[in-house]
Amino acid sequence: MRNKLKAFICVVIPILLAYALNTKFGDLPPLLKFLNPFTGFWQNAEPLSINKYDKLELKGTEKTVNVIFDDRMIPHIFAQNDHDVYFAQGYVTARHRLWQMDFQTRYAAGRLSEVVGEKAIEVDRYQRRMGMVYGAEKSLKGMMADPKSRAMLLAYTDGINAYIHSLSKASYPLEYKLLDFKPEDWSPLKCALLLKQMSAVLAMGSDEFYMTNIMKKFGPAITADLFPDYPFKEDPIIPVGTKWDFNPLPIPKAPDAFTEMITSTVKTKQAEDGIGSNNWAISGSKTASGYPILANDPHLNLTLPSIWYQIQLHAPGLNAYGVSLPGAPGITIGFNEHIAWGVTNVAADVLDFYQIKFKDITHKQYEYNHQWKNTSVRLEKINIRGANAEVDTVFYTHQGPVVYFQKPKKLKMADNVPMGNALRWIAHEESNELMTFYYLNRGKNYKDYRKALTFYTAPAQNFVFASADNDIAITANGKFPLKWKDQGKFILDGSDPKNDWHGWIPAAQNPTVKNPARGFVSSANQSSTDQSYPYYINWSFGSYERGKRINDRLKVIEKATADSIRLMQSDSYSIFAQDILAALLSKIDPATLNATQKEAFNITSKWNKFYDAKEIGASVFELWTKRLFYDIWDDDFTIASIPMRYPSRDRTVQLILKDPSSKWFDNINTKAIETLADQVNESFKYACDSLGRRYGPIGERWAWANVKSTNVPHLAKIPGFGSKTLMIGGGKSTINALSETNGPSWRMVVELGKIPKGHGVYPGGQSGNPGSPFYDNMIDTWASGKLYDLYLMKSSDDLSITSLNHLTISKK
Amino acid sequence: MVFIVILIVSFLLQLVLPWWIIVAVSFATCGIIGKTAKLSIWSPFLAILLLWTGMALFKTLPNHNLLVTRVAEMFGLHAWWSILVLTALLGALVAAISGYCGYHFRIAAIKKTNS
Repeated sequence: MRNKLKAFICVVIPILLAYALNTKFGDLPPLLKFLNPFTGFWQNAEPLSINKYDKLELKGTEKTVNVIFDDRMIPHIFAQNDHDVYFAQGYVTARHRLWQMDFQTRYAAGRLSEVVGEKAIEVDRYQRRMGMVYGAEKSLKGMMADPKSRAMLLAYTDGINAYIHSLSKASYPLEYKLLDFKPEDWSPLKCALLLKQMSAVLAMGSDEFYMTNIMKKFGPAITADLFPDYPFKEDPIIPVGTKWDFNPLPIPKAPDAFTEMITSTVKTKQAEDGIGSNNWAISGSKTASGYPILANDPHLNLTLPSIWYQIQLHAPGLNAYGVSLPGAPGITIGFNEHIAWGVTNVAADVLDFYQIKFKDITHKQYEYNHQWKNTSVRLEKINIRGANAEVDTVFYTHQGPVVYFQKPKKLKMADNVPMGNALRWIAHEESNELMTFYYLNRGKNYKDYRKALTFYTAPAQNFVFASADNDIAITANGKFPLKWKDQGKFILDGSDPKNDWHGWIPAAQNPTVKNPARGFVSSANQSSTDQSYPYYINWSFGSYERGKRINDRLKVIEKATADSIRLMQSDSYSIFAQDILAALLSKIDPATLNATQKEAFNITSKWNKFYDAKEIGASVFELWTKRLFYDIWDDDFTIASIPMRYPSRDRTVQLILKDPSSKWFDNINTKAIETLADQVNESFKYACDSLGRRYGPIGERWAWANVKSTNVPHLAKIPGFGSKTLMIGGGKSTINALSETNGPSWRMVVELGKIPKGHGVYPGGQSGNPGSPFYDNMIDTWASGKLYDLYLMKSSDDLSITSLNHLTISKK
Repeated sequence: MVFIVILIVSFLLQLVLPWWIIVAVSFATCGIIGKTAKLSIWSPFLAILLLWTGMALFKTLPNHNLLVTRVAEMFGLHAWWSILVLTALLGALVAAISGYCGYHFRIAAIKKTNS
């Protein structure tokens, strides 16, 4: 008996040991599954030396495809037909970025709990309840309806799957091993989900809940005064005075209730300001070559693996170079032999909340046009690792999903969602953005550009354009709902049909300008137009500072070259400081300052208003104005039970400059009456003291780069997989719009001409594998503000470039 | 002998099977040909220590230790080789325990048939 027990124990111990070291506990990876050198992370250590030639046989290709990887591992795909070019794009993108593509689409689809367990459940519910999957399904319908985009999508999907099916456990991307899950087959729906996620990033900002609360608390007069429909300082995208050569549709009438609300005296996640993107194109008349130059730098939350994936696509009728989104076929921002294009976000008001009156708590019916209308129900099944699956019921009105009945706990991103409201959002429309890029990639001239734009729905973008024919243009483009003015500034009454969207602004009437007299076009997320544009797009846009700086520079530029434009992209001069610094400094009373504060005052007085890496003035100014805005608004606009937003920076600047005795400068929580000067002095001292506490005596460590500490973290925030801290300049309201982890995710400058010359860089590399030398090899070049030459190869045996690897994919 | 057998068999089987096959290999080898308890600890220990160190170096040296340096940082360690030591020691320890258990399993099972 004793021996039996002993024998039993001898068997059990090794089994338990093997089990324990093969299982994930909490956030710890399954230890030996991850560490063993045969299938664990060691297998992801890519050798630095690379084979010159590789051959592959794959079932999915129709003819032989050549892929040249250049000296930065950027693929140049040479295919003999459209199918093969997108198949190969899918294949090589997956080879470099599979985990990123998979993780991002799982996030978009509200499926993170499957991978990380219960801690992601609120985020998953949010994604589902916002209708991300619902929207992706509708988008997919649109993409599959057109034979061209359908073929593109299917070939791309097959290419990704051909790669996934070639994997063994040892060759899974590193993060799968760390988080202990498996790649699953790609599907066209995932491409749609990825595009929805871009909409969520760029067009999900919504202030109506905050604005409604402000309206209720302060009434219409103050709301209109502090939250005006057009900024005090502006330099719109479409130059002031541009004539609209169309007959506008009649503007729908606002319901009486709305007019009453904003005129009667009865009291009944905001987007981060200063973050956005820049693009511009200058006509040949202002360049050294006589041909246009186009520049674009989209600002996003920076992550590794890089957000973008550089690629050249070559097939009959197609030869384009640029960046693609891993998970979507085609090139999003780039150029070909004839044209170049780029995008910035429009920030159109394409997301509205409707207050719904339900008949009873079953939520089966709601009031609409004096009748009871039925809701529909969508069940969202959320699988959870280590727990039972959950089924979430979402009610849909004709407007869209009723996002929440109860406020979710601990989910900051849901703060701006009002309870019991239905969501009407552009991303729920059937759409086919792929066709825009299909035609832009093949575009030859202005006409092709205009045609490509008509296919685009969301997220609305300012599409800048330049061609070798010496045309430049910019269009605020997307599907814009036809609304009455300010429809959606506040929460809408869901029972009144007048509050519905009333069709669309015709695509041809979207704000656009071609070859303006000033010789350049530009955008930086500011107002699309001046106030003469007949339609309502939004009541508030990004602040004007970056746009103003770009336009100031472009007005005086002559004989521009790629290099002068490159330097402009990393320009960090602050128009905000230009507008306000002198006024603030004049209010400081030097007699009340201590030694450190006096030193800071002297430095800031002499500061040249550039957010350069070494500037101490920039650090002081940044913290000072942030604190000042807090001092001015927080007492009035922060109440725990009523989420509100601050008035805009533009309005605050206007108050400081034009209305220094405004009652808003008083802190209502103190007995004394504070003046603007009191607040300016308090905030200045506060900023200096907090810098002193964090960085010691005033000196080198107060330098802006040190305070800002820009870095590029890993997508899943895995320590060790992000970049080091980068000691570089740039600031939110400057052209080089860098903050801690947000900034230019791609910088591109294209010189049009007989042979176009492209230059570009992103903070990262081609490979998504932290074990590859190409994971972050471009970061230092990006940080120093330099660009690489981009090779638009003529053929696969173009000898003018150095290639690392030549991959031949032939039909199996 | 036990050392050589475990080294070769573990190497070959790990090319196609999960890492935990070393548990079975150490257990079986020591269970069948393990001479003493002491040898049944040290032989699998050294075999896996050598095999895993060798394989890890084979992968990481051509990579100039780029990845293992990042992994070390993830674990809050500074030197890349600390991950190598951790990997090889853990694997060797598991093998040693398995070998020891295999040996004692045989002893227990033989005694059982004798009695």
